[in-house]
Amino acid sequence: MNIIVCVKQVLDPDIPPAKFRVDSASKKVVPPEGIPPVINPYDAQAVELALRLKEKHGGKISVLTVGSNGADKVVKHAISMGADEGVVLSDETFEGSDSFSVAYILSKAIEKIGEYDLVLCGRQAADWDEGLVGSVVAENLGTSLVTLAEDAEAVDDGLKVKRVTLDGYQVFVVPLPAVVTVSNEVGQARLPSGLGIISAARRQIPVWKAEDLGVDPSLVGSTAARRKLFALSVPARERKCEIIEGETPAEAATKLAVRLREAGAI
Amino acid sequence: MEQEFDAIVVGAGPAGSACAYKLANAGLQVLVIDRGKFVGAKNMWGGAFYGGDLLNLLPNFCEEAPFERYVTRQKISFLTEEDCLSVDFASPKFKEPAPHGFVMLRSKFDRWFADKAQEAGAVVAPGLGADDLLWDGSRVVGVKAGSDELPASVVVACDGANSGMAQKAGLQKELSSEDMKQGVKEVIELSEEIIEQRFGLSGKEGIAWEFVGSCTQGLPGGGFIYTNKDSLSVGIVVQLDALVKRKVQANDLLEGFKSHPEVARVIEGGKLVEYSAHLIPVSGINMMPELSRDGFLVAGDAAALVLGTGLILEGANFAVASGIAAAETVIEAKERGDFSNESLSMYRRLLEDSYVLKDLRTFRKAPHFLENPHIYNLYPELACDVARRVFIGDGQPRKTTWDNVRDSLKGRASLLQILPDLWQGKGAI
Ligand SMILES: Cc1cc2nc3c(=O)[nH]c(=O)nc-3n(C[C@H](O)[C@H](O)[C@H](O)COP(=O)(O)OP(=O)(O)OC[C@H]3O[C@@H](n4cnc5c(N)ncnc54)[C@H](O)[C@@H]3O)c2cc1C
Ligand SMILES: Cc1cc2nc3c(=O)[nH]c(=O)nc-3n(C[C@H](O)[C@H](O)[C@H](O)COP(=O)(O)OP(=O)(O)OC[C@H]3O[C@@H](n4cnc5c(N)ncnc54)[C@H](O)[C@@H]3O)c2cc1C
Repeated sequence: MNIIVCVKQVLDPDIPPAKFRVDSASKKVVPPEGIPPVINPYDAQAVELALRLKEKHGGKISVLTVGSNGADKVVKHAISMGADEGVVLSDETFEGSDSFSVAYILSKAIEKIGEYDLVLCGRQAADWDEGLVGSVVAENLGTSLVTLAEDAEAVDDGLKVKRVTLDGYQVFVVPLPAVVTVSNEVGQARLPSGLGIISAARRQIPVWKAEDLGVDPSLVGSTAARRKLFALSVPARERKCEIIEGETPAEAATKLAVRLREAGAI
Repeated sequence: MEQEFDAIVVGAGPAGSACAYKLANAGLQVLVIDRGKFVGAKNMWGGAFYGGDLLNLLPNFCEEAPFERYVTRQKISFLTEEDCLSVDFASPKFKEPAPHGFVMLRSKFDRWFADKAQEAGAVVAPGLGADDLLWDGSRVVGVKAGSDELPASVVVACDGANSGMAQKAGLQKELSSEDMKQGVKEVIELSEEIIEQRFGLSGKEGIAWEFVGSCTQGLPGGGFIYTNKDSLSVGIVVQLDALVKRKVQANDLLEGFKSHPEVARVIEGGKLVEYSAHLIPVSGINMMPELSRDGFLVAGDAAALVLGTGLILEGANFAVASGIAAAETVIEAKERGDFSNESLSMYRRLLEDSYVLKDLRTFRKAPHFLENPHIYNLYPELACDVARRVFIGDGQPRKTTWDNVRDSLKGRASLLQILPDLWQGKGAI
């Protein structure tokens, strides 16, 4: 089974909150200096599912990412986990693309690769939590789509996918090729092995530009964005600490209860 | 493995990246592994890089390297609880002919340096820690990382203070807390304008500021402030065994240091964005391990190549210089096809001939001298007291400076106590 996994680089979720900054004027997140982005955790789990499918059914795993500066690092991460190859999709004209344009770029790259049975995406990118790209890719490619997969296996007439629901799961069988978005219920993504890290470190990751993909420049970049951002700010959280005292624990507890009622908490 | 490496460098700090860069440039197959999630992830220092080693190694260093500022002022202050007496040295020589000191943040610099090594052809693999060495008899033939065995003709241990690799190679004993200082530091964000205003800087100018006195509460060590582009690195360095004995936390000393009026003034309104701690080997040549064995070399902090004289604390330049010397040694060993200890002993000769071991020998008595508590309480007190008497009139008839010194000494110390310190200091720092 030939699988293509779409992986996105996101800000490292381990960044201390003090280092997270947005520039309200340009409406952009200011990436913290010195802390490189990481692979979107859900995408690492998509790679994990791809590896399990490959272990069971054989085939090849290719990885795609749309991104600039250092995007090869997330492709290398996927390769160090066991993916076979990967490509960075990068072009100046891609800057500022919205989810639709990103999905368009990915679809063009997937068509260029041509031979595929399955496209896996993460359930959502951990930075903006949109959860759009996978569905739009399926639409563009005209394939079947299952979102929020927690498991999958190949069956005679396609792919059997277990889909997470609020209080249980659904099972679908869809014809291939298909797009599946992968949820965290798939389980932990494996850690790269030493040899995996070294063989990924040795790789040169190819870059495909707009013209390599046949991307129409009027459909990508900030000018093509159908979605306009009006304001961006970090929510101000106020914390207050009040010390409630009392002669006896009972008195303190009574005062606390009164105070909580005043504050409308109980 | 697809292909055996000529050299595996363990650790991508300044020593490891310098070594790998040089080796890769000479066309050797080199692998650098670092246990950090990314290169530089957990590394910290004061800090400024002094001297010309990086400029010589990396032709476009000044244009490309992600340094924060040049050092254009070097300041040393003696602190009491309230007072501060400073020597503030500014000189155009700091910049000419080339900058002499670069203030840098390790997370940025280390990654940039490792990328340079990678561009030169080294394979850089972060997220991979060496757990043990591979042996063939008494010869080191590679490293073990998790369940993987990575063979190489030679292993260069650049794994920093308390080097696991030098210990596994049987060259370094388990280190004791007497040989270590603990460094803790905060990065405090302030705007570029405020920093330039508060420190009287402009453009890429920067200050390296060392403190001795009340900031370590009499324990051997000191405080520091370095100006980054839009933040300050503020920290202290304290003798580890003294911390343990006195049951003091380095953090608490740092908090005290930050609340000293002179320090509080410059960090006011800043936002704490980073906290980190690290050990520094400080006994210099007295704790230096054997530097090589068959198939194995050790460089940088892993070999305790750090110079601390009380006025300066330098290790990164020694790390780079030793990393380069290790690379030169490996390049020749590869030409000879001989990685025996004898062949690798060239490394020690290179270090003996350079400032690395010459400086460590010159200051070999410094570590012991710096244990003297007078340096951290008596002398800063005296200096500030004399300054108070000289500069703050109290309406009484003035005295000569010499008489002020004598009055200051009264009740604090006798010449008989001070003379031995002076005598020791003369030979040590
Ligand atoms: C308010 C706001 C501000 C933004 N500002 C910026 C900005 O300043 N700079 C910027 O670069 N982006 C910015 N974006 C993000 C950008 O507009 C797109 O949303 C984004 O690139 C597409 O990903 P997504 O977050 O919609 O992904 P989702 O739809 O949440 O992602 C689902 C899955 O799609 C796949 N996928 C998503 N993106 C990629 C990718 N790039 N490459 C490969 N696979 C991918 C992954 O498998 C992922 O798990 C902003 C978004 C929002 C909502
Ligand atoms: C608070 C403080 C202030 C300082 N100020 C200055 C200053 O102003 N100027 C100056 O010149 N020096 C200063 N130093 C000293 C300087 O930081 C060190 O001397 C220098 O970093 C040594 O470089 P290195 O490459 O030998 O080791 P390190 O920089 O410690 O690098 C070691 C690397 O090895 C990796 N590693 C460790 N173990 C393993 C393993 N088992 N497997 C894989 N990787 C491993 C680590 O992740 C790390 O990246 C300061 C130090 C401290 C703590």
